Amino acid sequence: MKHYDVAIIGGGVLGCFAARNVRRWKLSAVLVEGAEDVCTGISKANTAIIYAGYDNQVGSLKAKMTVTENASFDRLCGELEVPFSRCGSLMVSFGPRAETVLKKKLAQGQQNGVPELRLISGEQARELEPMLTEGATAALYAPSTGIVNPWKLGIAAYENAVENGCEAMLNTQVLGIRCLADGYVLETSEEAVSCKAVLNCAGLYADKVQEMLFAPSVRLFWDGADFLVFDRQTPAPKHVLFHEPEEKGKGLTAVPTVEGNLMLGPSRRPLEGKPWATTHAGMAFLRDNAPLLLRNVNTGQVIRSFASVRPNPHRVVYQNGEWIPDGKSIGSFVIDNPAPGFYSLLGIKTPGLTCADALGRYLAQEAAIFLDAPRNPAFDPGRKAIHKTDSHVVCQCEQITKAEVLEAIARGATTVDGVKRRVGSGMGRCQGARCFWEIEKLLEDRNRGAL
Amino acid sequence: MVHFDILIIGAGAAGISAAKAAGNAGCKSVLLVDRKPTMGGVLHQCTHRGFGQRLNGPEYIQLLRKDFPNGVSYWPNTTVRTVSNRKTAMLSSPDYGERIVAFEQLILATGCREIPAGALPIAGTRPKGIYTAGQMQEMMNLHGFVPEGPVVILGSGDIGLIMAKQLSERNISVTLVEKGNSCGGMARNQHCLTEFMIPLLCHTSISEVVGERYLQEVITTDGERLPCKTLLIAVGLRPERELIDSLGNPPWLHLSGNCNRIHPMVEGVVNEGIQAGHIACQMIRGDL
Repeated sequence: MKHYDVAIIGGGVLGCFAARNVRRWKLSAVLVEGAEDVCTGISKANTAIIYAGYDNQVGSLKAKMTVTENASFDRLCGELEVPFSRCGSLMVSFGPRAETVLKKKLAQGQQNGVPELRLISGEQARELEPMLTEGATAALYAPSTGIVNPWKLGIAAYENAVENGCEAMLNTQVLGIRCLADGYVLETSEEAVSCKAVLNCAGLYADKVQEMLFAPSVRLFWDGADFLVFDRQTPAPKHVLFHEPEEKGKGLTAVPTVEGNLMLGPSRRPLEGKPWATTHAGMAFLRDNAPLLLRNVNTGQVIRSFASVRPNPHRVVYQNGEWIPDGKSIGSFVIDNPAPGFYSLLGIKTPGLTCADALGRYLAQEAAIFLDAPRNPAFDPGRKAIHKTDSHVVCQCEQITKAEVLEAIARGATTVDGVKRRVGSGMGRCQGARCFWEIEKLLEDRNRGAL
Repeated sequence: MVHFDILIIGAGAAGISAAKAAGNAGCKSVLLVDRKPTMGGVLHQCTHRGFGQRLNGPEYIQLLRKDFPNGVSYWPNTTVRTVSNRKTAMLSSPDYGERIVAFEQLILATGCREIPAGALPIAGTRPKGIYTAGQMQEMMNLHGFVPEGPVVILGSGDIGLIMAKQLSERNISVTLVEKGNSCGGMARNQHCLTEFMIPLLCHTSISEVVGERYLQEVITTDGERLPCKTLLIAVGLRPERELIDSLGNPPWLHLSGNCNRIHPMVEGVVNEGIQAGHIACQMIRGDL
């Protein structure tokens, strides 16, 4: 059994940032992830938006954290060399009801300290965003909204954590947790891990991990959403566009990804049984609503659909032999500390990506205070992106070269999808049909070499 | 910067034919480039017969390559990264690195690509085991891969039928699913349906895929659940011509073969290649 000061459970974007920030302190750390790679859950299926902070209740942790973190995102993505674009966003109304929502959000955003937030006319909005449809009556313009590649952000934080001495156990499921006098033991599908503090960042499963040791308090109730990604032949808008519909209910979001594709989604809906499965109703919602917001959208240009899962935290009570939700979903981030040295992030959803580094810093600091650890002067916040290229083009659509693929493999990609998440191969219009085999072979060669 | 009168992008049936036509018409400065190490394009993976006089793809390549003019330069392993209106192309190759080539006439012979599963309104998870039909044809015929059955093929056009036959010959169970009211392929490719008793479900499509890590079954739009370890998408081809998107329609640009329009038969591709070679050559000479 190996001993560490801190064990981080879960290698999503939250766990990766927690791991990175734990190494800002003189604490030995291990990241334990059940899948073969980091960032394979919610971290790879979300809107990719770095929120401005006008959606959150005045004075809430979410509001404060979002505004502060948004402002520091250029620095963060500079440190980690992750593509980030401060494209700005327009929340668009098509009538009087939605306009009152915009006004409410404007007031809220101004109180939250969102910079340069302003209400503009439909005409001004169309000037800023030529793809917007004629019917737009007004828009809430937030220049500070940004977009990032979410899994590249998480992977960068992970690489930075490892470079700074954090160890990683991938393909390792946590099966049980025991409490000792001076810490915890994680029983895993591999070697057991002993540690003095646990940072539970298990995402969708964070409640289950906490309940390995503690009574239920907050449970996660999942819902789902669908997304569509378009070929770059379809122009992407310049800004993130939120459709605030006249009728009640959630409108469409159109995102220009950092790669330059138009992405539509999320279509919020119940889970309908299978997590990570797209639904016809959700995809139809996106296709049907796209023309209300965007001009010249050819839904024949979709190259990819995917589903995401959202963990909605609810306090639960025991009734008639089962734990049932008690009241509405909790609007705030739930940071739980059920016992000394055990910290859980429960149900971190929007704007969790925006706040991932801040949440990680917070958990790391809590652990450092608890373990009375000094700062780690050797910590280096910098991480280098994959810059190596050569003249051998492997992925034609996105023009990804063999050198990039090999570097992705050297940095830990073990599957074609792992390579895709690191360098973007297979994300283009043929969706990997033409480079799949070559990348698979390069992975095999690497595995043979490792044996 | 190297200069050629004619640059031909893609050394498949159209590109080889264009290069030969231009070379044999007396054009001395022709460059044919292709991203693969050998000429022939998609024909390499077409082990079935039906090209020219009952030839298979590789045999047809040999026929096409016969009398390849000595004066025509051929650079394999070359990806064209960009083409500009200044009549230059940026080439990239592991053999020689990056190179800019100037040209007078450009023949695009880049063929087509398949519509991927992601483009279709198919609900469900994203398990392993979903490929396009041509991708599987390449994996089986060039790399010796054997897919796990049962296989469902969406689309009963020629590529779907050819794959259905090939899989049946290997005793892998196949079901064809066709949106239209009858089989979409040419009569000569339909023989395999009766020969191997391949079920063809018409008027239906794939609505949903099921399976977490690996594909388990597909559900048709009629609600029928078909056990399925491998799903092949054969719903259509799109001309591959994004390389010239930003060029407009300059007089020096000629499209030939499947990047111009999707041809059911290789002869149509060859004819267009020859024509493009002739036109480009005449424009160099000032005859046009």
